[in-house]
Amino acid sequence: MSAWTMARRSLWRRKLRTGLTVLSVVVGIAMMFLLLSLTAGVDVQVHQLIRAMGGADLTVSNATAPAMPRRQQYLVLGFLNESLAENLTAVPGVYNVTPQLVSYMSIDDMRSPTTIIGIDPATHLEVTGGLNIALDGGRSLQAGDREKIVLGKTLADTLNKTVNAEVTVITLAQGNLTFTVVGVFESEIPQMEHAGYVTLEEAQEVTNQTGLVTQFLVKCVDPNLVETVAEDIRNSVPGVRVANPAVMAQRASQMLNTLTLFFLSVSLAALVAGCFGVVNTMLMSVVERTREIGMLKAIGARDSTILRIFLIEALLIGVLGGAIGICAGGALAIALPYLIRELAQLGLVIRFPGRLGGLPMVIPAITPNNTVLCFAVGALIGVAAGVYPAWRAARMSPLEALRRV
Amino acid sequence: MSEAGVILEATGLTRVYRHGRVRVPALQGVSLRVLRGEVACVVGPSGSGKTTLLNVIGGLDRPTEGGILVDGLDLTALSPGQLADYRLRRVGFVFQFYNLIPILTALENVELPMALARVPEHERRERAFDLLEKVGLAHRVDHRPDELSGGEQQRVAIARALANGPALVLADEPTGDLDSQSAVEFMKMVGEFNRRAHQTFILVTHDPLVVRECTKAYTIRDGKIERELSRKEIEETVPQKDLLKPL
Repeated sequence: MSAWTMARRSLWRRKLRTGLTVLSVVVGIAMMFLLLSLTAGVDVQVHQLIRAMGGADLTVSNATAPAMPRRQQYLVLGFLNESLAENLTAVPGVYNVTPQLVSYMSIDDMRSPTTIIGIDPATHLEVTGGLNIALDGGRSLQAGDREKIVLGKTLADTLNKTVNAEVTVITLAQGNLTFTVVGVFESEIPQMEHAGYVTLEEAQEVTNQTGLVTQFLVKCVDPNLVETVAEDIRNSVPGVRVANPAVMAQRASQMLNTLTLFFLSVSLAALVAGCFGVVNTMLMSVVERTREIGMLKAIGARDSTILRIFLIEALLIGVLGGAIGICAGGALAIALPYLIRELAQLGLVIRFPGRLGGLPMVIPAITPNNTVLCFAVGALIGVAAGVYPAWRAARMSPLEALRRV
Repeated sequence: MSEAGVILEATGLTRVYRHGRVRVPALQGVSLRVLRGEVACVVGPSGSGKTTLLNVIGGLDRPTEGGILVDGLDLTALSPGQLADYRLRRVGFVFQFYNLIPILTALENVELPMALARVPEHERRERAFDLLEKVGLAHRVDHRPDELSGGEQQRVAIARALANGPALVLADEPTGDLDSQSAVEFMKMVGEFNRRAHQTFILVTHDPLVVRECTKAYTIRDGKIERELSRKEIEETVPQKDLLKPL
């Protein structure tokens, strides 16, 4: 029969009202949690994209190519001459350079095109550390491989192909070609496992881009001087864009901070509204329980005891709202990708134009930090909303309170 | 009787309320003395100041002028915190209605003053049960107030008033909401606690059933004590046949 018991029982006694008040907190917290989870998901994906550059320190691409290209743009823009590798290797501080030709082609009867990357096996291994071939008897690409392909694990699973199986690739220049799967690779980056690798020469032939590449991956001698080397390349090789993943990561986290701040302020607006809901309920409760407060004071309860009872009530509302809000927001976050996929299949979702169009769906990430943050915000909202009503209750004169019937 | 036997000593109590510019005198020089072990009642018409008197004695209200000593404690000298402590430990209250906290069971309601006084849980539970047994409600300890009859609620209220072993129990129209059967039972309880534990009671009432059980009665009118009746005078003034007529 502590203040906790009394607070809990008072809330329980007015279930509907308590439920509705809790709901007003739930809405804000759920929204906040969902948005924060989305941001965290974007964060994870941005870092995966950056990591997709593998062990390379820098990526060099055509200055006219967008940083995050749309599929079709590779066909019209953004090629570099293969011979540029020599210029790059000549830049001081560059350890090695490997070319890459990214293209999009359909495989078998898959409707949407697949990313096919042409690489030079020897230098690719040196610069990026190579592909992580799954342990089922496959191998990576070798120089001179013809009509051989290495598939990402997800892609292999989708196609239901394993090592030594054959796939049909629909090419622009040469029509349908049959490739033999020589290996299946795994990657830390889920998106990468949707791609397939062939040798550079073959990629150039089947896309009709002889002597052209889309990127060079560069490994530097000193990992601490990557940005200096990037600067040197920008100055000495005209018409290229040099991307430094470290710098990209920095920019991305700045962008994410802005995004987080924006989302936080949106949900804060919802939370403030919820807070007023709690204040309102608590004030109503104080007025309703005037007699009860008078009685408690008459039998010797101090102001601080009354204050505590009402503050705990508000805290419980906040904590409950926070907990349910996190569950609701989390459930929404988990369901969101499925929901959007379902809607997309029904044709109800408009594809984002521009750069976002080719990007995979953002998968929200639920992080412990955000969970703790949302829970704390819920509790805080409750207490903040409870302060004034609790103070009103504590200050009430027992005589006035008892006179009211 | 010796001074040690005096539990309440009020001298020249006045209490003036202000409603805007209008001064409303509720008490105009009330002096009275109640001894330990008495059951005193204050009888008077509405607006006579009897509830104000009870509130002043109970430390819920302060006199505008005059002195009041309860159990040797000068109430006019106490801070609000000390007054709360006085209400918690030295006096017990029984009101006309809405005595109990609706969300707590009978047992918990009796435990409440002891919880506020930080009595250890097992001890207060035991004492609360004991008190409810004494008022004949051992079988209803786990019932909430809305599951109890009016008479039962008032008996729980007595048990609660006695929880911290107060020097004085104050009751404001305790039978005002009860049928006569319940009122008689209530006064029987008061009589029993008075005889067995020598518990002092001061009751404000209109109810002849209550007055008849008292050892002393004060009549109050317009904020002044009119008469003080002894046990014998009460018996003469409140005859059996007029029992159901309000005084």
